[in-house]
Amino acid sequence: MAKPQLSRITAVLDVLAVLAAAVLAAVALPGPAHAQAPVKVGVIQPLSGPVAASGNYVRMGAEIARDWINGRGGVLGRKIDLVIEDNKSDPKEAASAAEKLIVRDRVPAIMGAWGSSMTLAAMPKLEEYGVPMVVETSSAASITRRGNPWVFRISPPSEMEALGLEKYLDRIGIKKADFLAVNTDWGRGATSAFGEILKKKGVGVGVTEFMDQAATDMSAQLTKIKGTGADTLFLTTSVEQITLVLKQAQEQRLHRRIITTGGSSSPNQLIKQAGAAAEGTYHILFFMPWFPEAMPDGKLARAFVDEWSRRGHPFEGLTEGFRGHDGVATIAEAIRIAGKDEPKAIRDALWKVSITGVNGPIKFEKDGPPGKESGQSRPSIFVVQIRGGKVALPDFLARK
Amino acid sequence: MSRLGPPVAAALALTAPLWLANPYYVHILIMAGIFAILALSLNLLLGYTGQLSLGHAAFFGIGAYTSALLTLRLGWSFWLGLPAGVGLAAAAGWAIGRLALKLRGAYFVLVTISFAGVIALVAQNWMDLTNGPLGLPGVPAPELGPWSLRTKGAYYELVLAAAALAWLVCRRLVRSRIGRALVALRENEPLAESVGVDATHYLVLAAVVSAALAGLAGVLYAHYTRFVSPEVFLFTYTVTMVIMVVAGGKGTLAGPLVGALLFTALPEALRETVSWQWQMLAYGLILVLLVFFLPRGIVPTLAAWRHARRP
Amino acid sequence: MEALLQHLVNGLVLGGIYALLGIGLTLIFGLMNVVNFAHGEFYTLGAYATFAALALGGVPFLVALGAAIAGGVLAGALTERVLLRPLRGESIDTVMLVMIGLWIAMQNGELLAWGGVAKSIPHPFPTAPLVLGPLSVAPLRLFVLGAALALIAGAHLLIQRTRLGRAMRATFQDPDTAALMGVRIHHVRTATFALGSGLAAAAGALLGPIFLVYPSMGDLASLKAFSVVILGGLGNIWGATLGGVILGVAEELGAGYVSSGYRDAVGFVIIILVLLFRPSGLFARAERIG
Repeated sequence: MAKPQLSRITAVLDVLAVLAAAVLAAVALPGPAHAQAPVKVGVIQPLSGPVAASGNYVRMGAEIARDWINGRGGVLGRKIDLVIEDNKSDPKEAASAAEKLIVRDRVPAIMGAWGSSMTLAAMPKLEEYGVPMVVETSSAASITRRGNPWVFRISPPSEMEALGLEKYLDRIGIKKADFLAVNTDWGRGATSAFGEILKKKGVGVGVTEFMDQAATDMSAQLTKIKGTGADTLFLTTSVEQITLVLKQAQEQRLHRRIITTGGSSSPNQLIKQAGAAAEGTYHILFFMPWFPEAMPDGKLARAFVDEWSRRGHPFEGLTEGFRGHDGVATIAEAIRIAGKDEPKAIRDALWKVSITGVNGPIKFEKDGPPGKESGQSRPSIFVVQIRGGKVALPDFLARK
Repeated sequence: MSRLGPPVAAALALTAPLWLANPYYVHILIMAGIFAILALSLNLLLGYTGQLSLGHAAFFGIGAYTSALLTLRLGWSFWLGLPAGVGLAAAAGWAIGRLALKLRGAYFVLVTISFAGVIALVAQNWMDLTNGPLGLPGVPAPELGPWSLRTKGAYYELVLAAAALAWLVCRRLVRSRIGRALVALRENEPLAESVGVDATHYLVLAAVVSAALAGLAGVLYAHYTRFVSPEVFLFTYTVTMVIMVVAGGKGTLAGPLVGALLFTALPEALRETVSWQWQMLAYGLILVLLVFFLPRGIVPTLAAWRHARRP
Repeated sequence: MEALLQHLVNGLVLGGIYALLGIGLTLIFGLMNVVNFAHGEFYTLGAYATFAALALGGVPFLVALGAAIAGGVLAGALTERVLLRPLRGESIDTVMLVMIGLWIAMQNGELLAWGGVAKSIPHPFPTAPLVLGPLSVAPLRLFVLGAALALIAGAHLLIQRTRLGRAMRATFQDPDTAALMGVRIHHVRTATFALGSGLAAAAGALLGPIFLVYPSMGDLASLKAFSVVILGGLGNIWGATLGGVILGVAEELGAGYVSSGYRDAVGFVIIILVLLFRPSGLFARAERIG
């Protein structure tokens, strides 16, 4: 018994030694280092797993920005090269991806990482190595409040989004509202942020219900919501679950004014998949690809929409895809201002960035504990409505 | 090579942060070390008692959350959070062991899955305690006297020490009377019981040690990534552990280590060589092929092969 | 009261679907002792096959349904023949590892083939709900419930009344004796896996139009199927049917009256309680225990 055991161990240690030697050989290989090498920009997105669709749209938008910038001669006379990593919708993978991008690929800046928990998991790596990250989607307030001076966010935290809606509240005429949200940092954050604004405005809040990220049957929550007698339902979740909720609300004859938050709701996909059930719903968005001319930079928005369809990407993806464009454009501008692709210089330059992206003006303000502030831009926030099977400006704007 | 193997490997392992120029590889080694502890923990049950637990992510998560909450909320030191996390995980292991180890085979598998599912939902919904899906950012890095173990090299040594300790605990246990009793139970439970082996007693003991080790891995994970969220309970963590144990060779002491190293390195190697679209597909296929060609696991197959070659 | 009735109706419809998922798995799990993590992937396969037949092939709804079931049966038979038969006699966790590999590979293969964007399956039923007093239910859901019950009855007849079914039952009770009596175990196992996969594909084809079709849809389905199997007892078709309905109603009531965040905990808690106090399932008869 003892003999085979021992030889087994030595066999294993041999294997370990061989593996170690292989790793050593891999490390010893020289990396390419030419003067005119492209400027690398890291991208961390969920490219597989349950939210793969959204992550891939952001990637497509980032690729458009890269190609446009390279078409104009790149930055600092060098091409931009995106190094794209999949975080598999898992925080551990997001941290590993950040580590790999920074240490192995030596990217001087990163855009990522879609979901707030992925972003939060990658953030200690930014601090450890001193590499800036532009956050393009995440909405958790804590991201810019943690005192991580390497974080620059261009997406609105839920509080900012709720404030964006505040000015319309009187015109919409909400008396009492319920919440239905996905049980994630995003859904939880949105219900509390919008709840606060409603309370401040004296609007009653009925029930707040949550659903699992993978849940497909929401009839129990909807039956409960039906009992509150409210007139409005705030809905925060992925476009897939919004579709299901709308269909099931119709089945249950839940007649409510429905407002989706978070900007990921792609009304076109809802029209296509929920049909009549989507009629009359409102959607808070950060990009209106149906009316590019109404965007702060109409020409850029129009060009982005055209390029998107020229590449054969689905129209539904535009409301996510623009984030990728704006993130990469922000980083490229920072590199231009910095005059070199060095992380610290790019970080300092990010504070000086002032461009107009597809969403609108991007300019960072300080957020978080003094001395260690993160950057937070003030994105533009829009509301659209589905009317007559089409996306339109909301009726409450029309009836001023 | 076999005689030189052990000391050389030990020396290589100890000095890894020095000769690995690239901290990315140290990161991979740290993750491999954490998963090695997990794999050792699962192997104790799967390999030596024959009971497959698919709820090990729960013990991992309990360890991670306990230590993270104690250090964050109460300002405890890592060195107090560590035993607390390990202890609570062990207590959970004891409870599950007492309740579930009268079941066998597939039924035991399903109870453990369900247990992990419930714990994950608690972590996700008990906002006041766990901060729910928002997670707990800013878990402090451990300190040792005047030194911070924040640097990768230092943390690596900590994980290496913990993994070595876990391995020694497993070896001690497996080679003791307890280990022989466990194997006897695995091979023929009625026979073992007829000669006076108290099945429940030994199985619960194995479950407690196994859960404690998984909790240890959880604590190390929390203070390394410095962010804990309900994703620590993801089923993929459990699946990864099973893959490491079965592919490495269950019921051997070295198998889990080889499995952990290989299956931490493999996804990273795929990251380097395969475009992201194909990475997960390739991972699934490699898994299927591995079982087909090495159904008993890498270590037993290699050992048998070496044995056969030698006179 | 109105809400309670509506919750019960919702739970019943959901339960029929869970039952369909559970029956396929209970056969595979109970008869072959395979912890089939890829079960949900056959469900996904059925949903995508329906989508392909309808949206791309342009065939009628019922034909698409049939095509999906046939696809599931074929894929199941192939899986058993290629992956499972060579591993007969290996331990339960070795086989499980292969199923985990298949699960990962199939899911990511679907992601590659179809993209991550959810698909919606068109169906010929009116979208306006049928209303009865305070209750309302969509015609499509009623159809799905009916179709699920028909398939369940069909599976039951197959097991109880056919030669194949007899061979399956004999194999489940005692494979060695069955083999001695001339039952070709290989064929029975292939047929069992194909039947289970076909039923999973049918569940996917039926649920696809109610919900949406996307690559990771099978994960939740697998989980529910396992809960149902436990509730009903391994290899017990009627147990799985009742188990499905109980799970559906319990989840619905739990989400409605306790907390929607803990909705999925209902299934887990049921599993734990049943296994601790009645480990052979709620409806087990003595001879069902393997």
